[in-house]
Amino acid sequence: MNWRLVALIVGSLALLAGAVMMAGASPAVALSTLFKGSLGSPQAISGTLRESTPLLIAGLAVFLSLRAGLFNIGVEGQLIVGACACSVIALRFPGPIGIILGTLGAMIAGALWALPAALIKAYRNGHEVITTIMLNNIAGYFTGYLVAGPIRAPGQQNTTTADITPSTHLPNVFNNGPLTVNIGIFVGIVLAILAALWLKRTVAGYELQTVGANSTAAKLAGIRTERVIVKAMLASGAIAGLGGAIQVLAYEGRFYLGFSPGYGFDGLGIALLAGGSAYGVIPAGFLFGVLAKGGVSLGIQQIPKGITVVVLGMAILIAAAIRYRKVKTVA
Amino acid sequence: MRGITQRFGAVTALDNVDLEVEKGAIHAIVGENGAGKTTLMRILYGAQRPTEGALEIDEQSVEFATSKQAIAAGIGMVSQHYGIIPELSCLQNLILGAEGGLIIDSAKATERAQALATKMGFEFDWPALAATLSPGATQKLEILKLLWRNARIMILDEPTAMLSPADGDALFASMRQLASEGATVLLVTHRLPEVMDHCSRVTVLRGGKWVAEKAVSETNTKELAQLIVGTSEPFPVLAATPVASQKEGLKIENLVVRGERGEDKLKSVSLTAKRGEILGIAGVDGSGQRELFHAIAGTLSPKSGEISMDGAAWTKASTADRIEGGLRVIPEDRHAEGVVEAWSLEENSALGLQRLPALAKGPWVDLEARKTWAEQVAAKFKTRHGGLGLPMASLSGGNQQRFVAARALEMSPQLILAFQPARGLDLGGSAHVYQAIRGRVTAEAVAVIVSFDLDELLEHCDRIVVMNRGRLSEPSPGQGKDRDAIGRLIVGVT
Repeated sequence: MNWRLVALIVGSLALLAGAVMMAGASPAVALSTLFKGSLGSPQAISGTLRESTPLLIAGLAVFLSLRAGLFNIGVEGQLIVGACACSVIALRFPGPIGIILGTLGAMIAGALWALPAALIKAYRNGHEVITTIMLNNIAGYFTGYLVAGPIRAPGQQNTTTADITPSTHLPNVFNNGPLTVNIGIFVGIVLAILAALWLKRTVAGYELQTVGANSTAAKLAGIRTERVIVKAMLASGAIAGLGGAIQVLAYEGRFYLGFSPGYGFDGLGIALLAGGSAYGVIPAGFLFGVLAKGGVSLGIQQIPKGITVVVLGMAILIAAAIRYRKVKTVA
Repeated sequence: MRGITQRFGAVTALDNVDLEVEKGAIHAIVGENGAGKTTLMRILYGAQRPTEGALEIDEQSVEFATSKQAIAAGIGMVSQHYGIIPELSCLQNLILGAEGGLIIDSAKATERAQALATKMGFEFDWPALAATLSPGATQKLEILKLLWRNARIMILDEPTAMLSPADGDALFASMRQLASEGATVLLVTHRLPEVMDHCSRVTVLRGGKWVAEKAVSETNTKELAQLIVGTSEPFPVLAATPVASQKEGLKIENLVVRGERGEDKLKSVSLTAKRGEILGIAGVDGSGQRELFHAIAGTLSPKSGEISMDGAAWTKASTADRIEGGLRVIPEDRHAEGVVEAWSLEENSALGLQRLPALAKGPWVDLEARKTWAEQVAAKFKTRHGGLGLPMASLSGGNQQRFVAARALEMSPQLILAFQPARGLDLGGSAHVYQAIRGRVTAEAVAVIVSFDLDELLEHCDRIVVMNRGRLSEPSPGQGKDRDAIGRLIVGVT
């Protein structure tokens, strides 16, 4: 810990407190409102975990692509098409079979949505940031069209599908009155742990990270970088699609226009905050969840909830300052 | 520089070192890898602040907090690791950081750049991207960068490592000219002949301590070598032992490889390298060695022609398959091609070998085996490191090279493909690497070594072929080790 880092953190907090005061609120009240709203009661914790679930999974999707040197901005679109596909399938096949088919369908849809960007990147060197942003727009408008027409719930005025049957819902693990925790969050946590182990322990994980860290060296090391890029992008898309499926099956129960408030984009921040290990996605996703849930309480207290975004931005900056320090030569 | 001491934590990189250089001199600084040469120069350049000690220029005490101040004081440095940005043009690289105003007058800048280049006898296509430059040309551009900044004290860290003998001589001619005009040149090098031929004084460092300072006219390479290593032990070159292998070795027939602009970089190249043989490939930079190297490694696909190893077709085989077949590569540019700098030594030790059964159990990385392997790799050429878990970037250039070379030579190589394997290594390190290559070749491996340093090839190779403008030629029988005959082939005079 050096003095610059301490100064950075103290400075950030001061800036934050100043921003809250300028907005006409007391920093202490803002802080306590934020934490009461997100962690202060069983209901608040339930809500925070619910918010954390799609964020964690979207963050993991971005993280995986980032390890391969790809900046998958398309998680948002992949998550939306995944959710849309899952709703359609789950409505057609109620019950556990619908859960399985819906999840698989969502993963395939997410991966397919990432495929064009993957191929363009691997074989034509077209930048994935550009292509995935375009695919995000296509995903948004395309699912918007579907939900406004072909898959709209019969007799519904709103642009939404019908609700899936309760038997097609993912079960709650805890259901003790105010504290309800769905299995969805655990799916995300287990997935993050599996990803961390896969990256660390398998040859394929090693090769994927080599491509991300130094693709020229990777080629000489016998790694087919194009294939790795395509596979990493598809896996990232599949995870994003899964995130959409979990959101439908665990919480929303349907797909509608404006389904994602930007989970995919928050995923970028989560992945950056996570650092070098997939384990980091879990606390980072949870932090985003806390601020998302707490932000709602701030809004109720007439404190601008944009403050939470400022907090996140600073957290990412500080994390970057810690991560990208210069390595000193010792020998 | 007086009483310079530099500590990094517990490591003392420099211990009370003095250095005095006269104006207008070419002063050499020699020493083994890790002797502290680069650290000392970085202090002079203001890139590092010494723990103790003082600097004086023209009898004025100076203190540099940043290299910007050092540049303003007329000090310039070309480091081993180039500071050229490939995405910028040659001209943009030249003036980067010293544009001289908010608006760049390209025409005026080009004019001055051209004048500087002409003065030094260099040639550049100024609007071309720096990515198109060969390492040799990149080095020249670095030197021009110093002149652009009006440097009066120039620090060159191994400037000739990438240059052909002719380019190297031309470089030193320009250095002498600059010195005669009042510039001071500090040369960090491992090549003692360079010191003897071109420098006036030499300072020897060993283990971070000042050992000796001599006038070049009063010393010789033998004495310097002893001062550098601290013992009188010579480094023997192991002799070739004939092997009676039934296997064919590497065979290349009529290989044509296209360059980036669609031109033929290799024009129907044929060669064989038998088992038990070290084959040297000489030539000036950019003659097609790089393309040949990558075609053998499998990272460039040829337009036509055949490559085979022990009779097995390799032309279409992937690099991974070739590695399984015993290919081991010591790449030209270890930073860009050989290591992941941010990763630990342990992780880097498996790079290129990650699929081999010794380091993988099916789809799983064998973490324990990798740890033992990393220790073995580091021990092979005595890589100095602070721990196998530390990032590669914490090693000095020479130590990285030791690590990369050991990685390629330790796991039963069948075909050793090396591009300047001793780049950045001191006498001892270089001797050890070549001894290890000879050891492998005696055990029936094949070695193909590309180098711009003809003397290095003459010393260590059994046979030398020459590349010139994409064609390969072999000295006529009886002239296989004739320096002049090979020199003529290198420049294309027959």
